[in-house]
Amino acid sequence: MSRLEAKKPSLCKSEPLTTERVRTTLSVLKRIVTSCYGPSGRLKQLHNGFGGYVCTTSQSSALLSHLLVTHPILKILTTSIQNHVSSFSDCGLFTAILCCNLIENVQRLGLTPTTVIRLNKHLLSLCISYLKSETCGCRIPVDFSSTQILLCLVRSILTSKPACMLTRKETEHVSALILRAFLLTIPENAEGHIILGKSLIVPLKGQRVIDSTVLPGILIEMSEVQLMRLLPIKKSTALKVALFCTTLSGDTSDTGEGTVVVSYGVSLENAVLDQLLNLGRQLISDHVDLVLCQKVIHPSLKQFLNMHRIIAIDRIGVTLMEPLTKMTGTQPIGSLGSICPNSYGSVKDVCTAKFGSKHFFHLIPNEATICSLLLCNRNDTAWDELKLTCQTALHVLQLTLKEPWALLGGGCTETHLAAYIRHKTHNDPESILKDDECTQTELQLIAEAFCSALESVVGSLEHDGGEILTDMKYGHLWSVQADSPCVANWPDLLSQCGCGLYNSQEELNWSFLRSTRRPFVPQSCLPHEAVGSASNLTLDCLTAKLSGLQVAVETANLILDLSYVIEDKN
Amino acid sequence: MLSSMAAAGSVKAALQVAEVLEAIVSCCVGPEGRQVLCTKPTGEVLLSRNGGRLLEALHLQHPIARMIVDCVSSHLKKTGDGAKTFIIFLCHLLRGLHAITDREKDPLMCENIQTHGRHWKNCSQWKFISQALLTFQTQILDGIMDQYLSRHFLSIFSSAKERTLCRNSLELLLEAYFCGRVGRNNHKFISQLMCDYFFKCMTCKSGIGVFELVDDHFVELNVGVTGLPVSDSRIIAGLVLQKDFSVYCPADGDMRMVIVTETIQPLFSTSGSEFILNSEAQFQTSQFWIMEKTKAIMKHLHSQNVKLLISSVKQPDLVIYYAGVNGISVVECLSSEEVSLIRRIIGLSPFVPPQAFSQCEIPNTALVKFCKPLILRSKRYVHLGLISTCAFIPHSIVLCGPVQGLIEQHEDALHGALKMLRQLFKDLDLNYVTQTSNQNGTSSLFIYKNSGESYQAPDTGNGSIQRPYQDTVVENKDALEKTQTYLKVHSNLVIPDVELETYIPYSTPTLTPTDTFQTVETLTCLSLERNRLTDYYEPLLKNNSTAYSTRGNRIEISYENLQVTNITRKGSMLPVSCKLPNMGTSQSYLSSSMPAGCVLPVGGNFEILLHYYLLNYAKKSHQSEETMVSMIIANALLGIPKVLYKSKTGKYSFPHTYIRAVHALQTNQPLVSSQTGLESVTGKYQLLTSVLQCLTKILTIDVVITVKRHPQKVHNQDSEDEL
Repeated sequence: MSRLEAKKPSLCKSEPLTTERVRTTLSVLKRIVTSCYGPSGRLKQLHNGFGGYVCTTSQSSALLSHLLVTHPILKILTTSIQNHVSSFSDCGLFTAILCCNLIENVQRLGLTPTTVIRLNKHLLSLCISYLKSETCGCRIPVDFSSTQILLCLVRSILTSKPACMLTRKETEHVSALILRAFLLTIPENAEGHIILGKSLIVPLKGQRVIDSTVLPGILIEMSEVQLMRLLPIKKSTALKVALFCTTLSGDTSDTGEGTVVVSYGVSLENAVLDQLLNLGRQLISDHVDLVLCQKVIHPSLKQFLNMHRIIAIDRIGVTLMEPLTKMTGTQPIGSLGSICPNSYGSVKDVCTAKFGSKHFFHLIPNEATICSLLLCNRNDTAWDELKLTCQTALHVLQLTLKEPWALLGGGCTETHLAAYIRHKTHNDPESILKDDECTQTELQLIAEAFCSALESVVGSLEHDGGEILTDMKYGHLWSVQADSPCVANWPDLLSQCGCGLYNSQEELNWSFLRSTRRPFVPQSCLPHEAVGSASNLTLDCLTAKLSGLQVAVETANLILDLSYVIEDKN
Repeated sequence: MLSSMAAAGSVKAALQVAEVLEAIVSCCVGPEGRQVLCTKPTGEVLLSRNGGRLLEALHLQHPIARMIVDCVSSHLKKTGDGAKTFIIFLCHLLRGLHAITDREKDPLMCENIQTHGRHWKNCSQWKFISQALLTFQTQILDGIMDQYLSRHFLSIFSSAKERTLCRNSLELLLEAYFCGRVGRNNHKFISQLMCDYFFKCMTCKSGIGVFELVDDHFVELNVGVTGLPVSDSRIIAGLVLQKDFSVYCPADGDMRMVIVTETIQPLFSTSGSEFILNSEAQFQTSQFWIMEKTKAIMKHLHSQNVKLLISSVKQPDLVIYYAGVNGISVVECLSSEEVSLIRRIIGLSPFVPPQAFSQCEIPNTALVKFCKPLILRSKRYVHLGLISTCAFIPHSIVLCGPVQGLIEQHEDALHGALKMLRQLFKDLDLNYVTQTSNQNGTSSLFIYKNSGESYQAPDTGNGSIQRPYQDTVVENKDALEKTQTYLKVHSNLVIPDVELETYIPYSTPTLTPTDTFQTVETLTCLSLERNRLTDYYEPLLKNNSTAYSTRGNRIEISYENLQVTNITRKGSMLPVSCKLPNMGTSQSYLSSSMPAGCVLPVGGNFEILLHYYLLNYAKKSHQSEETMVSMIIANALLGIPKVLYKSKTGKYSFPHTYIRAVHALQTNQPLVSSQTGLESVTGKYQLLTSVLQCLTKILTIDVVITVKRHPQKVHNQDSEDEL
C-alpha cells in the first residue's frame, strides 16, 4: 500500500543544548545515574504502568534498557552508553556520569565548540597514553598464577552492584564460583591460539545464594517423570553420543516448489517412520549410547531406542547446540540416512541431579571447556541482577586475560588521573597544544572542566553525606563518614584509600576533593610487596574503563558539536 | 500585469525559501561547521553534516523548496559533494536577481548593473533572464574555465601519462572533503582511513572501473561496529561478510570455493512440475536417491579441494551435514549484492550441481587465500581472502563509533568521497562559443598558457599563413621562474574558398625530472622538470578550389604528457584540442577538455578566481544580458568564501583575503592560500552548472498554483514522482 498522506514537515531546532528542556532532562538523567553509582548506590525500581515485571536495579544496562528516552540528544547519550556496555559489560555508569559532567562543565565555560572539542580530544589522548604507559601509577599487573587479584577484581564487581542483595559471605562464595567457572573455560593444553569455552548460567530461583555451584559439563533440565524413565547406563568407557540438528519427528521434508501428488492408499507417514526406524537400527549397530536431538523425536523412535538401552533426549533447543557440539566433539547430524562414523562424539558419563526443585540430566565431559554455573538467589529481580553481574564479571575476566592489567578501583584511578592531567597542563602545556590555535588559558579552563568532571564521578561514590578527600602524594581517594568530627587529625579518621592500597599511617597530606589544590606530580611508585600482600584491593577492568573514558569524551564532543536538531514528525 | 507580478513574486518566494535553507546549511559548511542531529520516524538518530541528507530530513512542504531539494539530490547523486554550497550559491544568486528588481543598492554591484536593472525591471521577463543564464552556462562558462581558470589548476597526479596518484595530494584533497562532512574531531582520522583504503585497494593499473565497483558495492565493503571508539576503525585485508558460518571447518593449503544460487540437494519437484507418488517404496527410494546424490555432490566438491561453499539461499540440513563431514565451510543466505560483489571480484560464475555425475573437474571454482571467522565486538563475521581477478584488491573497512548514527555518517561521507573521486578521475568536456569579430582577423580566439617561452601561433590573415617558428626547444630549469606563455591563435575567418588544415602535433616531450622537492605545505606534486619540448609545427595546407567548403579553419593542438607542476601553483597545462569549424559565421564553437585530476586549493579559491575572470569578461562583453548575468554570477560566487571565512578575523578575514587574491591576479602573482587542502575542480564546475540549471527552473515558473489536495491524487502524483 502506498501512503495516502503527504509527509509532515520536520521540526528543526537550533542550538539545542541551550534550551531549558534539554538541560533539565540531562540533569535528570545525571541524577538518576549518579545516585546508582558505587557500592552504596541507591537502587531504582522500574516498572511499567501497564503492568508486568518490576525491575530493581542499579546497573546501567538494566536501567537504560528500561528507560524510555524521547529527546534525540538523550537518545544519543543513552545508546552510546548501551553500546559500550554491550561490548564491555562494565563501566557503564562511569561513562554516563562522566559524559553528563563533561557536557555540563564545558557549557558553563562558554568557549566555542571547536576549541572545546579539540582540547577535549587532546586531554583524552593524554589520559589514554598515560593509562597505557609503563609509568602509569594507577594500574597493576594481573598475575594469573594466583587467584588473589582475580578474586579482587570479581569481588569489586559484585560489591558495586548492591541490587544483588548479597551478604559478605555470599559475595565471597559467588566470587569464588565465578572465578572457578571462568577457569574451567580455559582449555588445559592450549598452544598458541586459545579458544575459550563457555560458562552456561542455569537459573535456580528461590534458593539460597550459598547453594549456587559450578559443575563441569552441561545440565539439561527435565521433568522428574522424564528423568525416571531414563534407564541408568552402567558403562566403564566413555559414552557414544549422536547429536541431531534435523527433526526426527517424521514430517516430510521440503519437497520443492512443484506439487507432489500422493496416490490413494500411500501413507507417507509410514514411509518416513520406516526410515526413522532404519536410522534407529543404524544407531544401535553403531553402538550409540546417547541420542540428543535439537528438535522433536518421534515417539515410536524414542520408544525403539529406549528398548535398546539408548537414552534419547529431544527438544534440546538451539542455544545448547553449540556448547553440546563443542563439549561432545560431534558433528550435528542433518541426515536421516547414512551417518558418517566420525560424526559421533562422546561424553565421560551421564547422571541425574536434583537442585532445589529442579531435575537435571548432567552430561559430564571428558575434558571440556564448557561448564554450568547454577546460580541461586532469593527472588526473581535479585536473581536477574545477579545473573547480569555474573555475566559482567565473566566478561571482565576474559578482557583481563587479553590485557593482563587492572586499574585501581574505588575512585583512586580517577583522582590520580585528574592530578596527573592538572600537573601536565600546568607544567607542560606546550606539548599538549603543539600546533593548535588554542591558547594556554583555554587549555587551563578545559583541563579544569575535564578534571572536575572526573572528580565528580568519584564524588558520586559517596551517597551518605560523607566527605571525599584526596592525598597530595599518590592522588588517591579517601572518604570520611558524615558524622565524623571535623578535626585535622585525618590519620585517625581515615583508614584506607578507596582501592585499599595505602593506609593512613603513612605521612600524607590530605585536602578536600572540592577545594582547589596546587598541581602536584602523583607518585607512581607502587609498592609491589603491598600489592602482593593486600588481599582486599578494589580493582577495575582496564579495557572497559579505557573504552568507557573514550566513549564518554567522544559522546560529549558529539553532543557539544550539535548545532541543529531536525526531528522527523512522521 | 498579473502574470508579471506573480513572476516577480516567485523569485521573492524562492529567495525566502532559499534563505531559510541557507541559515540551516551554513552552520555546518566548511571546516568550522557543526553537526546536525536528525531523527528518523522510526526513532533512530542520525548525525549528519551532509547537506543533502539534512534537506531531505526536513520534509519541506513549500513547492519551490521541494524543487530545490530535488535539484540538490540529483546533483548529489552524481557528484557526492556540494549540497551546502549549492544552497548558499543559489541563495546569493536569487538575492542578486532580487536586488536588481528592487533597485536595492548592493555595494558590490556597479553602476552599470543598475542602469541595466531598470531595463530589466521594465521588461520584467524572468524567462528572458533564465534564457540568458542558460546561454551563459552552455556557451560562456566553459570558455572562461578553459581560457582563464585552467592556468591555475593543479593536478592530483604526479605523472599525467600514467596517472600516478600523488599520495600527499590525495590526502590534502580528502582531508578538505572530510572537513566538511564529518565531525571535526574525526575528520583527520577518517580521511587517513579513506586514503589508506584507496591505496590498499587500487593497483597501479586500476582505472575508473575500480571506482565503479567500490561505489556500487560500498555497503557490502564496510562493516559498522557500535560501542567502540571511532579510533578503532580500521581496514582489513580481504572481504568481511556480515554473516556467520553455518559450518566452519578450519582448513589451509590449497583452498577452493564455489558459489551456488540454489539448493544443492535435489528436490522432489521443481516449480511447475508434478511428482506423482504411487507407493511408499517409491517415496523411500526417491529419498534415498536424494540423499545419495547430495552426498555424492559434496564428496565430489571435496575431491576437487573445495573448502568453501557460498550460497545465496538457505541450504537444507542435509547439505550442511555433508559439508561438515567433508570439511567444507558453508556461508548461507548471502544477499544478491554480496554475491554479485564476490563474483565481480573473482570473476566466478555460480556452480550448478551436475545432472549426470562425473568425475571431471568442476569448472566454476576459485582459489581462496583464507576463510576464517572474524570476531568484532563478540559478533562473528566471515572473513574471506579472495584472490582478485580484477584491478580491485579486496579490502573491507571496519567502522567503529559509539552510536550507529555516527557510523552511518562516516559511511555516508566515505561513500560521498568515492563519488567525488570518481568524478575527479574523469576528463571533463568543455564546449563553448567564442565571439569573434570577423573584420580584421586579429581577435584572439583563445589564450593558451604554457610554462616556457612566449611564442605566437600563426597569424592567419586573409588566407596567408605565417609561420613564426617551426621548431621550438623549450628548456625550463627553474620552476620557480614564473614564465608565462601565451599562445595566441589569430585567425581570420572570412576564407570561404580555402580549406585550411593546420596540425600542430607535439612530439612526445622528453621529461627528465632533475630533482624533486617538497614545499612546506606538502604540496608534493611539484616535481621540478626540465622540459625539453620539441615542437614540430607542420601546417598542412590544402587548397581546395572547389570552394564553399564548410570547414573553414581547423586547428588541432594536442599536448600530451605535459604535466607541469609548479610551486607557484600556476601553470598547469591542459591538453587542448580545438576544432574551429564553421568559420563563416561570427561565432566559433570550441570544444576542449579538462584533464582528469584537476584540483585547486580550498578556501574559496575557485570562487574568487571565477569571480575575477567573470568580472573581466563582463567588462569586455558588449551584450547587456551577458554582462548582467556574468556580474550576478560573479558576485554570487563570493557568497561561498564569505561563509567560509565567517569566523576568521584580521588578516584572514574575507575582505583581506579577497583583496589579496585580486591583487595577486592583477599583478600576475601566485595566489597564496591560508589553508591547506585541495578540492576538485570538476566538482565545483558541476556544482555551478547544477545551480544555474536549478535557477533557470525556478525562474521559468510563473505562478505557483496551490491545488486542494485529494488523497487519491496525491498518491498518484507521488508514485509518478518516484518513477
